[in-house]
Amino acid sequence: MLTGLDIEGDTPLHRAPARAKLVGLFVAAVGLFLVSSPFLLGAAAIVAAGLYASTGIAPREAIRRVRFVLITVLLVAAANYLFHSAADALAVLFRLSALVLLAAAVTATTTISAFMDEITLMLRPLERFGLVRAADVSLAVGLVLRFAPEILARYADIREAHRARGLPVRPLGVLVPLVILTLRDADTIALAIDARGFRR
Amino acid sequence: MDIVFSDASVSFAGRQAIHPVSVALTERRIGIIGLNGSGKTTFARMINALVRPTAGRVTIGGLDTVTDEEAARGRAGFIFQNPQHQMILPVLAEDIAFGLKNRGLSKEEVAQRTEAVLERFAIAHLAKRRIHELSGGETQLAAIASVLVTRPDILILDEPTNQLDLKNRSLIEQTIAALPEQAIVITHDLPLLDGFDRVLLFHEGRIAADGTPADAIRIYREIAAC
Repeated sequence: MLTGLDIEGDTPLHRAPARAKLVGLFVAAVGLFLVSSPFLLGAAAIVAAGLYASTGIAPREAIRRVRFVLITVLLVAAANYLFHSAADALAVLFRLSALVLLAAAVTATTTISAFMDEITLMLRPLERFGLVRAADVSLAVGLVLRFAPEILARYADIREAHRARGLPVRPLGVLVPLVILTLRDADTIALAIDARGFRR
Repeated sequence: MDIVFSDASVSFAGRQAIHPVSVALTERRIGIIGLNGSGKTTFARMINALVRPTAGRVTIGGLDTVTDEEAARGRAGFIFQNPQHQMILPVLAEDIAFGLKNRGLSKEEVAQRTEAVLERFAIAHLAKRRIHELSGGETQLAAIASVLVTRPDILILDEPTNQLDLKNRSLIEQTIAALPEQAIVITHDLPLLDGFDRVLLFHEGRIAADGTPADAIRIYREIAAC
């Protein structure tokens, strides 16, 4: 199923130019790492959560998208609590959570095409020095955004198929077909990209 | 546009998928038929350089598909058997514009050409729709539009009516009939070939018949009956 991570909508974040959102995200990331007060970072996390919610994304879907990353953030915060202090742990928890939520808000309100255009534009100067091929990098980013939900959906399908056949759902039993099918899809997509003459 | 195969053949892992073939394709409507695995798709993919000949050569309008791969591919658009496989971006208008990226066109020109091709196929109202929300016929039209927006001279369609209901099949049949571009259609849907100028029948990697639709289909039926 062709989905992508952006959701339809007409919120202020949807209307904001992709470049402004990417620059804003970058500035926010730098700012979050310059601040160490758990109170300020906590406030930032609340604002980020508000922005994410303002995209109009359904609550269930909103949580599904970020839960794995937030669990990882929680683990990192727990490690900080064990080895440093409660204040450090809270700062890490709020800082990284804010960043994840802001990034999720930008992803949910920016089309893949807009991402690709901006990345191509940003990398053009490096292309002039022969350091990168801007179109290839933007295509790679676009494909990640495009296929991330598809791979997750396929993972769910394989689990369902195991259940339907009465087989136990073991990680290896799901991951092996997932990797094989993903690689097969990658071949098809590469062929499609060539057929449509994107790579020059 | 002349498509010329000169002793062109393809081998995959020691298996001869296409035996040496020499043929010139100049007609406006060309059909390719044959049993599953007979080499139809491999032959068609050689035209737009998705498959390279392991021996011999293929040229389109004089451009060699190996040495002038990019230019040759620009002349022949390819519609996959499952059109969803060639849609890269999730929203229709975005996906159609995708084929125009990286060609040095201005944003305005990309938008204008995207709009024009959407209108040409009467799918402008679907521009903002997600590809997975489109019907089978709409997806096939979208795939055709996404290829024709790059303005190839030849359109190759791999089983374009596969899995379509009667209504959508008729829609695609009419669309193909109305295309001003040269079209090469691989199909199991034999009535689709009515009015075609020429039909090639593939069997076990070789051209088993080359002639009018009636002649090629008659021999195809004989082969299929064996």
